[in-house]
Amino acid sequence: MIRLSRRPAPGPLAHAGTGPPAGSVVPRRIRLISGVTVAALVLLFTVLATTSQSARTGLRIIGHGAGPQVVATAGLYFALSDMDGQIAQVLLLGKDHPERRQAALQLYDRRRGEAGRALFRASALAGDDPAQTRTTQAVLDGMGRYERLATRALQLDEQAGHQAGPPPERVLSIYRDATDLMREELLPQAYNLTLESGTNVRRVHDETRSSLAAGRAVVAVAGVLALGCLAGLQVFLARRFRRVIGPALVVATAIAAMYAFTGFGLPAREAETLLTAKRDGFDTVLSLARARAIGNGMRADQTRYLLDPQRADTYEHTYLDAAQSVLYVEAGNVREYHERMSAAAGPSGFPGFLGAALTERDGEGARAAFLAYVRFQGADATLRALPAQDRHGEAVAVRLASLGEEFDGYDARVLALSERHRAVFERAIAQGEDALADLLFLLPAAMISIAVLVVAGILPRLNEYR
Amino acid sequence: MRGDHGFGAVRTAARLTAFMTRVAVALAVLLAPACGATGPDSVAGKGTLVVGVRPDLPGLGLRLPDGTFEGFDVDVAAYLAAKLGAKVRYVAVLAADREAVLLDGRADLVLATYSITQERKKRVSFAGPYHVSYQDIMVRSGQKGIGNVRDLAGRRICAVAGSNAAERVVEERGVAAELVPATDYDQCLALLKDGALDAITTNDVILAGLAHRAGGGLRLVNARFNEQRTGVGIRKGDLDGCEALNRAITDLYQDGTAARLLHKWFDGTGLDLTSIHIPRFEGCE
Repeated sequence: MIRLSRRPAPGPLAHAGTGPPAGSVVPRRIRLISGVTVAALVLLFTVLATTSQSARTGLRIIGHGAGPQVVATAGLYFALSDMDGQIAQVLLLGKDHPERRQAALQLYDRRRGEAGRALFRASALAGDDPAQTRTTQAVLDGMGRYERLATRALQLDEQAGHQAGPPPERVLSIYRDATDLMREELLPQAYNLTLESGTNVRRVHDETRSSLAAGRAVVAVAGVLALGCLAGLQVFLARRFRRVIGPALVVATAIAAMYAFTGFGLPAREAETLLTAKRDGFDTVLSLARARAIGNGMRADQTRYLLDPQRADTYEHTYLDAAQSVLYVEAGNVREYHERMSAAAGPSGFPGFLGAALTERDGEGARAAFLAYVRFQGADATLRALPAQDRHGEAVAVRLASLGEEFDGYDARVLALSERHRAVFERAIAQGEDALADLLFLLPAAMISIAVLVVAGILPRLNEYR
Repeated sequence: MRGDHGFGAVRTAARLTAFMTRVAVALAVLLAPACGATGPDSVAGKGTLVVGVRPDLPGLGLRLPDGTFEGFDVDVAAYLAAKLGAKVRYVAVLAADREAVLLDGRADLVLATYSITQERKKRVSFAGPYHVSYQDIMVRSGQKGIGNVRDLAGRRICAVAGSNAAERVVEERGVAAELVPATDYDQCLALLKDGALDAITTNDVILAGLAHRAGGGLRLVNARFNEQRTGVGIRKGDLDGCEALNRAITDLYQDGTAARLLHKWFDGTGLDLTSIHIPRFEGCE
C-alpha cells in the first residue's frame, strides 16, 4: 500500500525546485498540519468516548439502579400494606371462618417474606446513598415492632373468640397501635423510597441528555476540523510532491468520517432512546406502582372501616383520599365519589396516578383497567350502604370475599398495564446499551488504525528529506 | 534541529488539544442550561429565601410584638432554608393570600398551614408534605360523650368565617351539628368557655395552639378525621426546588428534628405525639 504511493517523482524532488530554505519549511509544514490533524482526531475520539461513556452511565443508573429500585420499593410498599390488611382481615373474621382466617394468616406470612426480600433488594440498590440507607434501616426496625404488635393483637383476638365483625376493645386498641405504626411510619417511608428513585431517574435523565447534546456539538466541531485537516494534508502533499493521493490517508479519512457521522448521530439517537425509556416506560411504571400501592391501602381501609366502628369515619376518609389520588374527581365524601365514578364515561382525562397512566396508546388495556376500577368502586358503594346490623357475621364475610375478588381483578389489570410499560422500558435501555456497545467496542481499533494510517501516509514523505 | 521540529509539532498538537477541550467545555456549559431543568427561578440555589408564614396562629406561625415570628412552621422553614444553604426572611401571609404571594413573587416559599389539594396544585406546586395533621375536635375538659365526629350530631359547633371545617362536618360527614357563627377562633374560644358552644373543630395543630393559649380547661378528643397534608408552597414547575426541599424534609424526620419541634410546640396541648406521623411525599412532577 505504502509502496504504491512511492512512485518515483516525475522531476527533481520538490525542495530542489523551491530552493534551499524549503528543505526545512516543507517537513515543518507537514508536521504542523499533521499535528493539528492528530489533535483534532484526538479531540474527536475523546469526545466520542466521553459522550458514549456518559450515555452508558446514564443508562446503567436508570436501567439497572433507579428503575429496579422503583420495582423493589413498590413491592416493599405493597407487601407491607397487605400485611396490615391481612391482620385486619383476620381480626374481622373472628372465630366464624377458620379456613378464611387461615388463608389470611398464610398470606400475611407470604407478604412478610416478600417485604423482607424487597427490603433487602432495596437496601442493596440504595448503595451508598445515606438517606436511603437510613430509611431502609428504619423500615427494618419498624417491621420488628409491627410484628410484635400484630402477634399480640392476634393472640388477644384468639382468646376473645368473637364472631365475625368488630373484635373487643382490648384487641382493637393493640391493632390501632399496629396499623398506625404501619400506615404512619413504615408505609410513608417505603413510598418515599420509590419517589426518591423517580427523582434520581429524572436527574440522571436530564443530565445525560444535556451531556449528549453538548457531546454532539463538540463532535460536530471536532469532526469538521479533523476531516478538514486530513483533506488539507492530502492536498498539501499532492501539490508539494505532485503525487496521486496516498491511499493510507484516504482510508484514515474514511474511518474518521464514519466515526464523525456516527458520533454526530449517536447522541441524538441515545437521547431519543432515553426519552422513550423514561416517558413511555419508567414514568408510567412509577405512576402505576404508586396507583397499586395506594390502591392496596384502599382495600385494607375497607376492612378497617368494618373492623373499628370508633374510627370508621377516619378510615372512610382515608379511603376517599386514596381513591382521589388514584383517580381524581371532586367529591367531599365517598358517596359523592361513587356517584361521579359510576357516571364517568371513559378512562381519559382524570388526574391521579392511574389517571395519568391511562393513555390512548394503551387502548383496550387502559379501558379494561379503568372499568375494573369503576366496578371496584361500585362494590365499595354497596359495602358502605350495608345497614349497621349487617356489618358482622356472615354478611360481612361474604361482602369481604366479593370485594376481594373485585379488587384482585382491578389490580391484575393494573399490573398487566405496568408489565407492558416495564417491557418498553427494558427494551429501550437494552437498545441504547447495544448501540453504545457497538460503538465503544470498535473505538480503540479505529483510533489505532487511524493513527497507523496517518503515520503511514506522511512518514514516506518526511523520509524523502533524510 | 529535526528533533526540535518534531517536538514542536507535538507541542502544537498538545496545545491545540488543550484549546479544543476548552472549546468543548465551553460549549457544554453553554448548552447545558438549555437542556437541563435548572430554571433561574428555582428556590434551590437562592441566597436568601423569603418565606410566607402565618402571623395569626399560636404554635404554628405567630407574629410577636417585636415583629419577629415564632411557631412550628417558622422553625421548619428555618431548618429547610438552612438545608438549602440559604438565609431566611419571613413575611406574614394570611390564609387567603397564600397563593397570591407565590404567584406575584412576594414569597419564595409558603409554610402557613397550607394543605395540599388537587385544586391548589393547578396553580402552585407543593414540596412535602412536611406535616400530616387531622381535623379534630376540641371540647371543655369536663365534657363527656364526644369521642368522634358522629358525636357532634345535635351539638353546637363553631363556624368561623373563612374556614370550612365546621361545614365539612355537616355536609361531607352528614352529621347534623348546629353551626354557631363566629368571626375568628378567639371568639370561638370565648363562646366555648362560656358554654355557648359544645365544640370547636378544625385542624388539630390549630386547636392545639388555641388550647395552649387558653391555658387549660380545654382538651382535644383526638378524633382524627379528614387527614390534612401540610406542604411547602412553591412556584409551579420548580422541580429542582421541590426535590431539594423533599430531601431536606426527609432529613427533618430522619434526624429527629421533626419530633423535637412537634414536642416543643405542642407538648401539653392534648395533641397525641406518642408516634410521629412520617409524611408520604406528594411527588414533584
